[in-house]
Amino acid sequence: MEILAGIIDNYYYMVAIILFVIGMYTMLTHSNMIKKVIAMNIMDASVFLMFVAVGYAHGSQAPIITEGNDVLYANPLPGALILTGIVVAVSVTAYALSLIVKIYRHYETCDYDEICEIRSLE
Amino acid sequence: MGLTDHFPVLIIVIFFIAAFLSPLVYRLARKFSAALILAVLTAALGMAIFLLLEVQQAGTVLYHLGGWPPPWGIELKADPLRLYILLVVLSVSLWIFIYALRDLHHELKKRVIGWYYTLYAVLVGSMSGIVLTNDLFNLFVLMEICAISACAIISIKEDRECLEASFKYLILSAMGTGCFLLGVVMLYMATGYLNYGFLQVELAEAFNYYPRNIFTAAALFIVAFGTKAALFPLHVWLPDAHASAPSPSSAMLSGVVIKIYAFALFLMFYEVFPRELLATIPLNEIILWLAGLGTLFGSIYAMLQTDLKKMLAFSSIGQIAYIFMGIGFNHDLALIGGFYHIMVHAVTKGMLFMVAGVIIYSTGIREIKDLVGIGRSLPITMVAFAIGGASMVGLPGTGGLISKWFLALSALEIGRPVFVLIILASSLLNAVYYMPIVINAFMQQEETKIEFKPVPRVMLGCMVAGIVVVVVSGFYTTPVVNLLEQSLALIF
Repeated sequence: MEILAGIIDNYYYMVAIILFVIGMYTMLTHSNMIKKVIAMNIMDASVFLMFVAVGYAHGSQAPIITEGNDVLYANPLPGALILTGIVVAVSVTAYALSLIVKIYRHYETCDYDEICEIRSLE
Repeated sequence: MGLTDHFPVLIIVIFFIAAFLSPLVYRLARKFSAALILAVLTAALGMAIFLLLEVQQAGTVLYHLGGWPPPWGIELKADPLRLYILLVVLSVSLWIFIYALRDLHHELKKRVIGWYYTLYAVLVGSMSGIVLTNDLFNLFVLMEICAISACAIISIKEDRECLEASFKYLILSAMGTGCFLLGVVMLYMATGYLNYGFLQVELAEAFNYYPRNIFTAAALFIVAFGTKAALFPLHVWLPDAHASAPSPSSAMLSGVVIKIYAFALFLMFYEVFPRELLATIPLNEIILWLAGLGTLFGSIYAMLQTDLKKMLAFSSIGQIAYIFMGIGFNHDLALIGGFYHIMVHAVTKGMLFMVAGVIIYSTGIREIKDLVGIGRSLPITMVAFAIGGASMVGLPGTGGLISKWFLALSALEIGRPVFVLIILASSLLNAVYYMPIVINAFMQQEETKIEFKPVPRVMLGCMVAGIVVVVVSGFYTTPVVNLLEQSLALIF
């Protein structure tokens, strides 16, 4: 029961981990390259969600502190870091998609298995 | 603060500045674009040497970016060990770049050469950053920069194999960074710090409260860095990527890039996780056995290859495993061996890929079976190949022997003679695929006359420099070993 209560209390971590596993599984097993890139984004997003969730405390406010106003506030650092992480993920996605465009021009397919077939026939 | 105080950050930043200037310079004043990167590489090398001398006298330098002290700001750390790796990275990059100046015109379209310089500068800059940084999130960002630029120097050739290989590399390295970032989240959850030093202190205590977080993080780090550095079962991307790339890129990727990740894993285990943690879970054992299998299987796969560059790429899987073995033994002699091997293998594999590049440049041959009798047409090139092969096998008189010697010594010292056998067996396996090429190249007559065009002097000069370093590192080991002993004394 203790484990179950722990899971219910921290369900957002569980959601993030489930998303991570979905993303990783699809990325490694799916043969469609665009779906691989989408899965890569799901995986990255799950980590970002988890990171942001770490910075939040129950009932906390946005981290705007004025003098004499002593409130519980969310940790701003994970948010700032994740902003950088999102930028990085976007650039990796852009590069991956541009590679797919180029590969499509050579093989006329986005499917990795089909590409392997074409190559094995040569 | 004087200018010299800012050297740790300048080493990284000048590469990014040069990277952004390079396409512009290539368009406006084409003659100077290569000179720009050369100047930056030389300047960074000079700064690294200056820092090393300073650190040896005055102790470790900590640099706070923007004047913000840790744990809030990003910290750069320059200790002798990191500077040793940095010197290897920068000098090998400079050497390969000089080689690339001639080879690139042959392998790439003219309009992308300026962009190649950009990518090269970004790659070297991000690697210097990975070596110097003392902050996990900064490491993540630099790793992504390094991954994208490493993929891009493969895909810039724009033929089908390169595009496909770099896509595979990109996906697997994205998996690696995803795992790494998840591991960082786990550690941040448990401690609230991202700085290596703060983490190490805090993790020793947090381990009592959140053991699962920390175990998960350690496992994720092994997967992350194992994928990126091509540790044995996670190596699937490497052969295609390193074999299809333009030769200077292959030399760079196989010679330097994979080692940076092995070094980053070392930093995780020795500077982030506290020592008590390593004693409680068999992390070292996992790495050690994977590395042991890697040395054998890398060589076995390499034997089966018919393409010269593919063979060299598979051989890298076996060789990187020696470096992981050095980390896995958790013993200072083994670490000296592992880090010595970083230097030796960077030079040797760089030189071997240069040889492959010269053979392709001069004759267009890629298949191993066509290399029979080529030693008569390209004597210096094949001598370089012979010396490189000897160093891979670990014959006396080459640097490869020294690193294997240290690894075997430490295996005996901690009472694991099995690994001495593994090292010996993998050396023999290396000999099985390197030596026939050398023997065939020199001893036999070619069946059909090989057409070859003359090799530029710069490329030959680079290979001669490689030969000199490989041979000298086999005889004159004291300065490097002393430096490593002194720097590892700070960690152990």
